[in-house]
Amino acid sequence: MSMIDSILAGLALVGNVEALVSLAIGIVIGVIGGAIPGISATMAVALTLPFTFPMQPINGILMLLGVYKGGIFGGSIPAILIKTPGTPASSATVLDGHPMAARGEAGRALGMALWASCTADVISNLALILFAGWLASFALSFGPPEFFALILFSLTIIAGVSGESLLRGALAALLGLLLATIGLDLVYGTNRFTFGDPNLMGGLNFIAVLIGLFAIPEVINMVWHPTGHMGKVQTLGSKWVTFADYKRCFRSIVRGSFIGVFLGAIPGIGAAPAAFLSYSEARRKSPNKANFGKGEIEGVAASEAGNNGVAGATLIPLLALGVPGDVITAIIIGAFMVHGLQPGPMMFVMNVDIIYGLFIGLIFSSGLLFIVGGLAIRGFKPVADIPKRILMPIVLVLCIYGVFAVNNNIFDVGVMFVMGWVGFFMSRYHIPAAPFLIAFILGPLLEDNFRKSMLMSGGSPDVLLRGPITWFFWALTLIAVVAIARGTLDKARDKG
Amino acid sequence: MNKRTIQLHLGLGACAACLFMILYAIPYWISAPSNMRNIVLSPRFWPYAIAGLTGLVGLGILFTNRKSEADDAPVNDPIEDPGAGLIRLAGMAVLMAVTFWLLPRIGMVWASMLAFASLAFLVKTRHPKTALICAVLVPLLLYGFFAHVAGVAIPQGEYVRLP
Repeated sequence: MSMIDSILAGLALVGNVEALVSLAIGIVIGVIGGAIPGISATMAVALTLPFTFPMQPINGILMLLGVYKGGIFGGSIPAILIKTPGTPASSATVLDGHPMAARGEAGRALGMALWASCTADVISNLALILFAGWLASFALSFGPPEFFALILFSLTIIAGVSGESLLRGALAALLGLLLATIGLDLVYGTNRFTFGDPNLMGGLNFIAVLIGLFAIPEVINMVWHPTGHMGKVQTLGSKWVTFADYKRCFRSIVRGSFIGVFLGAIPGIGAAPAAFLSYSEARRKSPNKANFGKGEIEGVAASEAGNNGVAGATLIPLLALGVPGDVITAIIIGAFMVHGLQPGPMMFVMNVDIIYGLFIGLIFSSGLLFIVGGLAIRGFKPVADIPKRILMPIVLVLCIYGVFAVNNNIFDVGVMFVMGWVGFFMSRYHIPAAPFLIAFILGPLLEDNFRKSMLMSGGSPDVLLRGPITWFFWALTLIAVVAIARGTLDKARDKG
Repeated sequence: MNKRTIQLHLGLGACAACLFMILYAIPYWISAPSNMRNIVLSPRFWPYAIAGLTGLVGLGILFTNRKSEADDAPVNDPIEDPGAGLIRLAGMAVLMAVTFWLLPRIGMVWASMLAFASLAFLVKTRHPKTALICAVLVPLLLYGFFAHVAGVAIPQGEYVRLP
């Protein structure tokens, strides 16, 4: 079958109202799910999955992909309006999105989040279509030493989100790494800081830590200083994103999209590190570097481009090799199997119409996301107008339900409360929360791959430099460390 | 607190945490097989590395603090009555502890209603009637969604059960 025939066959599958409606419903569900803190895109996809079983395979899969993409964008809405990331991927959006909202520019921040998300979505989809086979085979050649080198390099992004003090950022990251060690040891199954409590054996729940660190300190701050928000504007504002804003941020959006595509194509990395890396790179290259963290629109654009760039790219290893790129695509692979489809190289031969149908559907999804996202921003306007002393109790209750729902475990609610106090004291001592979170996400991956590498080599560190991929990431790490050291010294010299 | 005090607290805290981890927490709270031939494969290796780095960062913070110029300006926004603020914080800690204790006993809906109303009272909302209405409606709506749409088994407690 020629490429034209394949495209026509795909078009025949998705060129109907049913497919487009499934995709649109999926995006609506995703945006709503992502916008409710604690639901997350993962939970929204998992909840939608059973509803796709009676549908046509292509429609069901398109609906789930719509939920995925809508969920990643939806997470930015509460991140900007109430400083509560709806999904882990939106954590970086909080850094500049919320200060913009506090300044009365929530509408502008949300608009830029939407434009950046849709642009990144288009780039990610095109990357999926163009590079599926090649990129997936590259990612498949990663073993534990390569992953270790990659994650070590990813940890250098902490420097970009440390704010005024690199040392305080490093301290936050070490605290995150330490907390990530709680649970059963991955190799020997022995206890580490579990105190015999079965609830701690699986480690701390990521969503509980995330919400505890970002949402609960806001509630506690309100208790400490109930009138502190007085005079601070918290509305959508009259300013909307302009084409000039978009043009100014375009370079960061494209760079962030490619970072998202690259990290998304490597299984196991996910959208949150991509968002932080994109943010950090945008900050490093921007002429408005000093404004980052204080409400810089380019920061919002870069974070959203980074996390949405992942959405299409995670499908590259899924479709080409049958390897899920993250938790959400692991759920989506279930939908393929229920419909008797086996993602992988053979699918490009046996079900090429479905492959091309998905590609075409994904191109439509960017346009639909733009329409649905635009409506969702206006629909969530009332959230910005709620009095803060009513909003904070709502956030507290929402967090309790959301955190419980992830694992049906009340213990997670306790973890969230404790992390809320940790986050509050961190903010009083000006310790940034973002490095903590990045280290908490990457910590187990780093340790796991390090120890697997050591097991492979019988304890010899040579394995960590075993081939061109590891050399490449070690070189990148070295360059990043030198650049960070130079930047810190320059800053110290300027002050002196 | 000014910047130097914060740096001093953080530096000393990080060094103390490092010593506590190395001397007590890791040896007593992490079990490792006794026949480990290679230290890098031990479950204790990673926490030791993190604890060591924490100590180094703590020393780094103390060192930069000594080098920095004296600046007595407070780094956090001052509040009118810090004593009352501390009492409210203690109240919030009690509210969280009580909510956590009540969740399995009276159920998530009723515990959330109480938490909502108590928090609104604690921050002295200017809209008490709206707060009370929201305290009832928000947990009920969330219960409806999570229990009946998402299929999550929301804890119902031992007394009043919802459909």
